[in-house]
Amino acid sequence: MIYDIAHRTTYKYDAPVASARCAMRLLPRNDRGQTVLSDRIELSPAPEVVSDRIDFHGNRVCGAHILKPHTKLQIALAARVEVDRAPPPAPALTPAWEIVRDAAYAANSLAASSPAHYIYVSRFAPLFDAATNYARESFSPGRPLLEGALELMMRVHADFAYDTDATHVATPVAQAFARRRGVCQDFTHIMIAALRGLGLPAAYVSGYLRTVAAPGQARLEGADSTHAWVSVWCGPEFGFFDLDPTNAMAVGNDHIAIAIGRDYADVSPIDGVILGAGGQDLDVSVDVKEAAI
Amino acid sequence: MSAERDIEMDEASSRIAAWIADYAPKRDAPDELLDRDGRPRAHWRQFLESLAALGDAGLEQRFAAAGRRIDDMGISYRVHGETKERSWPLGRLPLPIPESEWRDIAAGVAQRAELLDRVLHDIYGEARLIAEGALPAAAVAGSRDFIRPMCEVAPPGGRWLRFYAADLGRGPDGNWRVLADRAQAPSGAGYALENRLVLSHALPSLYRDMHVERLAPFFREFRASMSRAAERVDPRICLLTPGPWSETYSEQVHLARYLGFTLVEGEDLVASDGKLHVRTIAGLKRADAIWRRVDADWCDPLEQNASSRLGVAGMFEAIRRGAVVVANMPGAGVIESRALMSFIPELSKRVLGESLKLSNVTSWWCGREGERKQVINALSEFAIRGAFTERLPGFSERREALGHALTSEERVRVIDAINQRGVDYVAQEPINLSTTPAWTNGRLAPRPFVLRVFAAATADGWTVMPGGFCRISHRLDARAVSMDEGAQSSDVWVLTSRPIEWSTLLPSNEDPPIVRTLGNLPSRAADNLFWMGRYLERAEATLRIVRSLRTRLGELQHIDLQGRQSIERLARLLIAWGAASEELPDMNPTQIAWTAAAGADNYGSALSVVRNAKRAASIVRERLSHDVWQLIGRIETRLMRADARAITEPEALEIVERSLHTLAALSGLIDENFNRVAGWSFINLGRRIERAIGTCRFARQLAGDEATVETLDALLDLLDSQITYRSRYIAGAALAPVLDMAMLDPFNPRSVLFQTMRIDEHLAALPVLRNDGVMESPRRLSIRLRAELESADARHLDAAIILAFEQRLMTLADQIAERYFTHGADGAVYQPSRIA
Repeated sequence: MIYDIAHRTTYKYDAPVASARCAMRLLPRNDRGQTVLSDRIELSPAPEVVSDRIDFHGNRVCGAHILKPHTKLQIALAARVEVDRAPPPAPALTPAWEIVRDAAYAANSLAASSPAHYIYVSRFAPLFDAATNYARESFSPGRPLLEGALELMMRVHADFAYDTDATHVATPVAQAFARRRGVCQDFTHIMIAALRGLGLPAAYVSGYLRTVAAPGQARLEGADSTHAWVSVWCGPEFGFFDLDPTNAMAVGNDHIAIAIGRDYADVSPIDGVILGAGGQDLDVSVDVKEAAI
Repeated sequence: MSAERDIEMDEASSRIAAWIADYAPKRDAPDELLDRDGRPRAHWRQFLESLAALGDAGLEQRFAAAGRRIDDMGISYRVHGETKERSWPLGRLPLPIPESEWRDIAAGVAQRAELLDRVLHDIYGEARLIAEGALPAAAVAGSRDFIRPMCEVAPPGGRWLRFYAADLGRGPDGNWRVLADRAQAPSGAGYALENRLVLSHALPSLYRDMHVERLAPFFREFRASMSRAAERVDPRICLLTPGPWSETYSEQVHLARYLGFTLVEGEDLVASDGKLHVRTIAGLKRADAIWRRVDADWCDPLEQNASSRLGVAGMFEAIRRGAVVVANMPGAGVIESRALMSFIPELSKRVLGESLKLSNVTSWWCGREGERKQVINALSEFAIRGAFTERLPGFSERREALGHALTSEERVRVIDAINQRGVDYVAQEPINLSTTPAWTNGRLAPRPFVLRVFAAATADGWTVMPGGFCRISHRLDARAVSMDEGAQSSDVWVLTSRPIEWSTLLPSNEDPPIVRTLGNLPSRAADNLFWMGRYLERAEATLRIVRSLRTRLGELQHIDLQGRQSIERLARLLIAWGAASEELPDMNPTQIAWTAAAGADNYGSALSVVRNAKRAASIVRERLSHDVWQLIGRIETRLMRADARAITEPEALEIVERSLHTLAALSGLIDENFNRVAGWSFINLGRRIERAIGTCRFARQLAGDEATVETLDALLDLLDSQITYRSRYIAGAALAPVLDMAMLDPFNPRSVLFQTMRIDEHLAALPVLRNDGVMESPRRLSIRLRAELESADARHLDAAIILAFEQRLMTLADQIAERYFTHGADGAVYQPSRIA
């Protein structure tokens, strides 16, 4: 499947901003079943200095330094990405979750793909008893990891209400958990916290969903903005596999990944500092469609 | 004579005998004073003999002197969450350590520093220790100080670790061992210096006779090594502080001053061209090396904590490009974790090919199955603690769980937690801190302590500070010592057998090499000095009006309506700049005068303004002498005291008078003791601008269109010019002569022209950014103002013209701010977008 993605972020400022410096994680990943055919970021006003690097997790980061005063900043991404993911392993064939946990504890690599990075608390994914206990119900002793993880995903989908007004970007995950509502960012953090509570490696993936549903299917939640889901480690043989708790589905060819990290903080689309006082207003629009080729 | 001497000797030995008889250390932990058999150790006996010889009175006198010196030096610290700083709790007795014992400690600490530096190279580099199974990845990845953006980065200057500290105590066998490693941004070295200054002054003869090793050479070597590591010769080295709210700000200020480092906050720095720069009044100046006291997570909002305002965006990129030496490298803190500690003994053999010279607390990381089972089987022998955190994960506020003290229910919970997430836990042998004597109420009492020893990287290895930072708990059963729990600190004396060379006794050896300036003044420092000057001047003006008002009120019954007019005008001045509130039910001048001086709620009262001055001063404390800092504090306390109790009129006037005297002393101190470098210019610019604007206001109110003899008299009062006026003019106050004196007299140090001339001179002396020879805008304006005032005629001045001057002076203040101070104060971070 080939997609055309248009992702536009607009900041409007009450007072002129003298200068700005930002780091953008907007370019899609070029691995894990994805091939980036083309992509481009355009900023207005145009930055004086730009830079590119790959961060620890293998995400592509663009840096920009704008030295002109401005009252509006527009960041537009256009990308064409081909997605062709391998089908998931048969859940019953994945190792027992305890074995996966012990393998993560004993990992002998610090590379980004090592499960060791994804078993601990992180900035937006604290561990708390309620989440751990919630996860435990799906992981009876000896259960194959992916079976448990799929069930946990289904339960999050069933037990939590999709509600864009219940939380905001900084709502603590324990609060969203207690209220049993939130958006994909909350569900992703909740599922991550739950898995990690058992010592199971879980990563955060940011990305997009196709906007128009495939024929005969319902339109998916989170389609008109950036999306997030969980990547679960299934042991050294199978590696990471992605699950979308918001839509209760294994991630296949409807998802396009931008960045991977321990939680939102590692994949935040735009970080940076601006030199200026006064308020700011943020607007994001996303359009993902099948490329007409 | 000899009989007297004998009596003294007898007294001294009976004093020692009483001290020792009273002294009861724990049975199950080693003590510094008494050896295993309960006999005083030789070096302590020698120390106590010298101490006892001072006599009871002599001792108390010296200890009291030490206390006064701490206050005089302004050594302080802050307990997290408190607004007021506390005075530094220095124990009256040092911790003496004999040379032979010290040699082992120093060798052990140097070895450990080298080992940890190499382990850091491996963790952030090839990770061979991890691939080969010597160090599990999960024992590293769980640390919040495993700073992932630093992976595969070559540390500029070649070291991950440049300044390392080890916390030591004696183990049950009496040998020193490491309780904790400190590599993030170890504190305490500056307090050690300050402790030394205080105690060596309080006990000079003991200090000399016991041949105590000096601390200065250590700091010299550290400074030299930072300097050598930088790319440029004669580099600019900055101490990056989290700011005045940091718990150890006072120490950071002291260290920056002592080492000649520029004290900077994140906002003082800016990254451009992949390098770091300090914003100074002379433009951006390269920052070559940074000694950071900001935790790594807060150092760079572009790559770590996006909400941080303590760091500088782009620091990590500058490090990656090799453009800035950072001590310690962000991420060095990863070696502080207890998880890592359990692997250190084996890593030493593997990496260095030798056993640890100084063992550490035996630790077992529960992330590995073998250790986990062992720990659970023998739980009662261990203390369970966080592998990466101060608190025990899953047990809210607890620091540790002592196996033998657990209820059966707790035991189940602990075992469950370890089975589930063993990676988060470490089992350690329970720590029973060894003790050292503390001086309490004229007696010696054993107290648990932790000794922090510092090591600095040199060109070919490590140098260890001969001394250290010793924290002593006030509770005999303490299991950890932190400064916010009523602890004391002690000076640490490393005793040598040979006399310390005379040359090292010269004070110059406790000082860094000769430096005449602190380099270019950072913009933020200039800003705060300028405002400190303005606020102090504003406080003085407010108090002068209050004094004038009160004097006039005292004479009220003797004067007529015209006298009332001057009172009303003076009160109006106070209301106009927020010193007094307009909403007072009836305009009672007495009340107005009093709230204007000491009211805490009015933003313009002398008290509020002095507090603003103090706030500005606190940010530039390393540039101010302690006397300046102390005098500002004194004015504040004096006015605060005044507010608290009902006081009589004469008392109130006296407080105002005295505050004015202190302000005068402060001006004198600043003028006489401040180096004539840019910092002084900015204090002065602030004072002059404020005084010029104030004088314009006074002149408009009191020598405007409806001026009377009384109001002109009040103006002369405010300008302190009564005597000069009377010596020049026989007749009473007349409008044009008074206005001339207030506005145009170049010889009157309170006239507007006088201020403008000084402003112009200061601006002329400051660095220029333009290289086209064209004059910068503040100077253009100051020259114009000066020329206009010089050529003006007092007979043609009126309120409107004075107002125009006043407004242009305010424009000048804005232009000065724009040219010299523009910095990141108004910065913000991008609003994060939610992923829905």
